[in-house]
Amino acid sequence: MVLPAMAKIRLSFIFYLYIIVKCESINVDTISSDIRFKNVDRTIDISSQLVKITSRITLENIGGTPAKNFLLAVEDHAKNSVAFFGAKDSNNKEIRLVETTVKGYDYVRFWRAELKEPVNAGASATITVESVFTKTLQPYPTAITQQEDQLIKYVGNLFSYSPYYVVSQKTNVVVNTKNVESFTKVKPFSQQDGSIQYGAYANTKPFSEKELVIHYKNNSPFLTVTRVERLIEVSHWGNIAVEEVIEIEHTGAKLKGPFSRYDYQQDHHSGPASVRSYKTLLPASASDVYYRDTNGNISTSNMKVKKDSVELDLRPRYPLFGGWRTHYTLGYNVPSYEYLYQSGNEYLLKMRVIDHIYDDMQVDELVTKIILPEGSTNIKLNLPYAVTRLPDSLHYTYLDTKGRPVISFLKKNIVENHIQDFQLRYTFPRLLMLQEPLLVVGFLYALFLCVIIYVRLDFSIHKADHHHKD
Amino acid sequence: MSLEIESMVRYTSPINPAVFPHLTLLLLGIGIFFTAWFFVYEVTSTKLSRDLFKELLLSLVAALFSGFGILFLLLWVGIYV
Amino acid sequence: MPQTAAAKSGNGRNKGTFNNTAGLSTLITVTVLSLAWLAGFASRLFAVIRFESIIHEFDPWFNYRSTAYMVQHGFYNFLNWFDERAWYPLGRIVGGTVYPGLMITSGTIHWILHTLNIPVHIRDICVFLAPVFSGLTAIATYLLTSELWSRGAGLFAACFIAIVPGYSSRSVAGSYDNEGIAIFALQFTYYLWLKSVKSGSVFWSICTALSYFYMVSAWGGYVFIINLIPLHVFVLLIMGRFSQRLFVSYSVFYIVGLLMSMQIPFVGFQPIRTSEHMAASGVFALLMAIGALKYLHSLNPKGQWKQLLILGGLAAAGVVFLAVVGLTYMGVIAPWSGRFYSLWDTAYAKIHIPIIASVSEHQPTTWSSFFFDLHVLVCTFPVGLWYCIKNVNDERVFVSLYALSAVYFAGVMVRLMLTLTPVVCVLSGIAFSILLELVLREDELPVPPVETDDSKNLYDKAGKLKKRTSETVPPVDAGLGMNVRSGTLIAFMILLMLFSVHCTWATSNAYSSPSIVLASYGNDGSRKILDDFREAYGWLSQNTAEDARVMSWWDYGYQIAGMGNRTTLVDNNTWNNSHIALVGKAMASNESAAYEIMTMLDVDYVLVIFGGAIGYSGDDINKFIWMVRIAEGEHPKDIHEADYFTERGEYRVDNEASKTMLNCLMYKLSYYRYDSGGSPPGYDRTRGALPGNRGFKLTYLEEAYTTEHWLVRIYRVKKPDEFNRPRLPLAKRTVPTSNTISKKLDLGGDSMTSKRRKGMLKNKPNIVKGKKAVRLE
Repeated sequence: MVLPAMAKIRLSFIFYLYIIVKCESINVDTISSDIRFKNVDRTIDISSQLVKITSRITLENIGGTPAKNFLLAVEDHAKNSVAFFGAKDSNNKEIRLVETTVKGYDYVRFWRAELKEPVNAGASATITVESVFTKTLQPYPTAITQQEDQLIKYVGNLFSYSPYYVVSQKTNVVVNTKNVESFTKVKPFSQQDGSIQYGAYANTKPFSEKELVIHYKNNSPFLTVTRVERLIEVSHWGNIAVEEVIEIEHTGAKLKGPFSRYDYQQDHHSGPASVRSYKTLLPASASDVYYRDTNGNISTSNMKVKKDSVELDLRPRYPLFGGWRTHYTLGYNVPSYEYLYQSGNEYLLKMRVIDHIYDDMQVDELVTKIILPEGSTNIKLNLPYAVTRLPDSLHYTYLDTKGRPVISFLKKNIVENHIQDFQLRYTFPRLLMLQEPLLVVGFLYALFLCVIIYVRLDFSIHKADHHHKD
Repeated sequence: MSLEIESMVRYTSPINPAVFPHLTLLLLGIGIFFTAWFFVYEVTSTKLSRDLFKELLLSLVAALFSGFGILFLLLWVGIYV
Repeated sequence: MPQTAAAKSGNGRNKGTFNNTAGLSTLITVTVLSLAWLAGFASRLFAVIRFESIIHEFDPWFNYRSTAYMVQHGFYNFLNWFDERAWYPLGRIVGGTVYPGLMITSGTIHWILHTLNIPVHIRDICVFLAPVFSGLTAIATYLLTSELWSRGAGLFAACFIAIVPGYSSRSVAGSYDNEGIAIFALQFTYYLWLKSVKSGSVFWSICTALSYFYMVSAWGGYVFIINLIPLHVFVLLIMGRFSQRLFVSYSVFYIVGLLMSMQIPFVGFQPIRTSEHMAASGVFALLMAIGALKYLHSLNPKGQWKQLLILGGLAAAGVVFLAVVGLTYMGVIAPWSGRFYSLWDTAYAKIHIPIIASVSEHQPTTWSSFFFDLHVLVCTFPVGLWYCIKNVNDERVFVSLYALSAVYFAGVMVRLMLTLTPVVCVLSGIAFSILLELVLREDELPVPPVETDDSKNLYDKAGKLKKRTSETVPPVDAGLGMNVRSGTLIAFMILLMLFSVHCTWATSNAYSSPSIVLASYGNDGSRKILDDFREAYGWLSQNTAEDARVMSWWDYGYQIAGMGNRTTLVDNNTWNNSHIALVGKAMASNESAAYEIMTMLDVDYVLVIFGGAIGYSGDDINKFIWMVRIAEGEHPKDIHEADYFTERGEYRVDNEASKTMLNCLMYKLSYYRYDSGGSPPGYDRTRGALPGNRGFKLTYLEEAYTTEHWLVRIYRVKKPDEFNRPRLPLAKRTVPTSNTISKKLDLGGDSMTSKRRKGMLKNKPNIVKGKKAVRLE
């Protein structure tokens, strides 16, 4: 019963891989000279630990034929730190992006944006491109003492990196602090409290780069989740249990020298770069929340039930300074009607691939495991973005005989924009729910039968025993 | 991929989780009663007076009630099997 | 069950109606026992409910850690486990220095559950093992008592042992220690022993030996069994109660038990090489001799055999005794160990083994703790004992000996209260049973089930009123007046009620503290959890190098290894006194001398417990004097206890404290940059004093972490290149407070007497029982 399902999963997995491979190898595009960017309005937000770049691009078709798609690019030095890349059109609708390559530009990472409505000759369209980069902000100096502020150096591109000619562009860098040690000064520029404006620069060539360096104070939490294991266990008795095993490291400037509790207590602003606590948002229906590590409960946390979410104020056992790590397990239950849909014996689970851990989170590695009830077959997984499927396995827990199917997948470099739903379809005959209680009944009945047999066996021994005593 | 999410209904447990405690107590109570009856019968009856059919019936009833009782006990304490 | 019922029918009580109501009595027995189990289990869960499912205290952490190791790596790897995380740089061979019964028990349970696909974490098994075993102990006690007296008495005893604080002190949930399962093994072995003495059957003797084997694998207290059973045999011989049954059961038990006990690696050849075990072999030899003489007697029943028998017996006893003494002198048999001597002479440990004396549970027991742990039972058990002696038979001789020896040992050491508790429950069960029998004698109703039901009604008040009225009304024409009877009955019911209230209260308040999580209560009754220990251990486990070596006093060794997963120098397995003394010396020396010791021992971090900020009395400064004493024992040239006291012989930390005290490492690490803790800043709330030496700097160490309430302070030992800065001249480094020390000379006190003087603590640390705080006299 399980085997065909497993085979199917394998098959779909192979198919999936095939598609990924196909995308990688076959997509070769050329840069069309018909397109140019009339205006690029770029905001670089470096006030948190992430670099969030939002560009409003006004695209112009100067050629003769309607343009159905165009290319977006990320420069060489940043291409490996791209965590998220997305584009929306003027109606705020997602534009499909496909990763692609261009001959002669092997060092550049390209996406092909496939427009729903082609841009006619001479017409223009406005597109918003959003990208998030992780591990781009480097602490400088790399180690600070307890009382010092954390200084960050951002190295980026002064110009919007594009394969097309850009007529005019402006850049606004949000640093959210007045303490800017130094920044690249290319006229025209201006500095206001909390932000630096560059531009407008006119007529930049395709693929133009100029170093933009900003050295500034950034005490926002530099926490990296080095690994999350998210376990979703579906029970048809009306519950979905979620458990996340999280490892966190403070990846900002390392703590140099001693930690002094006296200083830390004396002054509330002491240890400005350290993280005392952070907030995790759970689904509004979450109940039975637990927060613990290998040594037991972590008693320092608060829970607030809000209208649309449950807010957990998590305080690790100790404040996190640069280079310090911690790990914990967070678990909760949600009722099945929130996420599980049914039609006959067909079921559909619609849940988040990853949930919120803290604001502006940065996750190195995520493993999500979904445990389905014993006897589920025909499992089909539908994901919002590409992940690495791990081999399916079986999980044994209370009252299991042949094991519950486990679907698992892995994704690296995750940010908040990846909080999206997956859909998992499976077939489960309802009658199988009776299997568990009947198992207990059978076990008990076997015990009673043993007693019945024992009583009959016992008689002969009993008599001998009696004899002995009297 | 035949069904779309719009055509499906939200799934709820066949038994409302709110009644788990009551079901547990009721079923386990009956189960323990029959178990006790069974054991008392086993102890008091002799080889001559023992009736296999009665034993089997008593133990079956006891097993059925206790089994379901234990299941709901598990569900009640939060072990969603 | 029915067999025991039938076997007991000759116990001087009319049981005509018993057989008809066999079903009912079995039902009641089973119900009472399962309720006792339930009550025993539930009353031990206070810590879990108040805090969480967590391993308590110190030793349980080692047991838990090794159980987890065994579950992970398998039994054979566990037996061969060399733990390089302990006793750095010596290491510890765990498999050969541990009683593995506890680990095997929970490992087996874990294995069974996982085979049945029940994914219970090993920690939860460890936490709940002792409460579960308390139920088994109750059943074993029931069996033992019904073997001795009657089933009714057995039910009483089972109910008593289920909740009595003397036993629950060592078996609350989370107290994962050998004693938790050993008391069950103890009681069960005694039950089987009585069974085998009664029946003389090889089967029961082998069962006894098996149970003894389990006990040997579980607890060092097995020595109690292997001395008590021979003592029983010996006394029976003296009383002229030799029988074939005794001969068979003891010789089978001794041989099989001896062979099996030697299978435990930790025990090894001890049963034939140490004095503690010699009583058993001596009695065995004696029994053989008497058996042989009896045999000769049976060959020729005429003649002067009786005198010869006595003479031969005495001669054999003398020969055996001389042989043991001779072998001991020759060195074949190891003489009594120091721990054993401390059982006879309570002052012995204080003089010779300070490390034993430093543990509060090795102190002599006070009268109050007898009452605290046993409550009304302490008054009633002599009654049971008296009845046992009055109606003596082979088994009752045993229980009398058990009671007498256990009372003695319990008086010597607080810890051995545990061995007294079961026998007190047994005898009190007998006493209560006799009493109720007396009061309810003329009843037409079947007696035993009713009385047992009454005892149970402590937990189940619903049925009691009805029962009592129906029982107390009929006996009008009895010897005792009805009023006397009902009065007695009511009085004893109230006593039992008070007993159960006291048990619950004692277990809840005194014995259910995990001691690694502290709770403080605010004025409004709100509870605040102080989780500093786990905070520190969590910090250690995450933010130090994997192989970092942590120096701390031995009390915290197991916890650092268990929760922090780091290498320790000394731990609660205090097998190497000189190593402990070295650590004590480092703590007692000044910083530069300590640094030399620390570099010698490759120490990376130093961990001290400091309770001054929250008024926690079990901290290192209060234990410090023991560190000094232990260090002095090994390094009398460098450390002198008297240096740490003031001129008047007081143990102080304020500016009247001695200069040595103010400059030792422990003092500095405790008070380094300590300026919080209420008014005035830097006030030590535990000792109620303002530290005498403040504002100093550390040269060789730096603060690595201090927990939120200052309870645990961790320092990093600097590498030689890190403190290579201009050194202050020696004169400047001395503390200014040395000027203010009032040099009052003790009248007529020369150096010798002042050295002997004991220190005084301004605020005596209050000893919480079951916690290894240090008591100072």
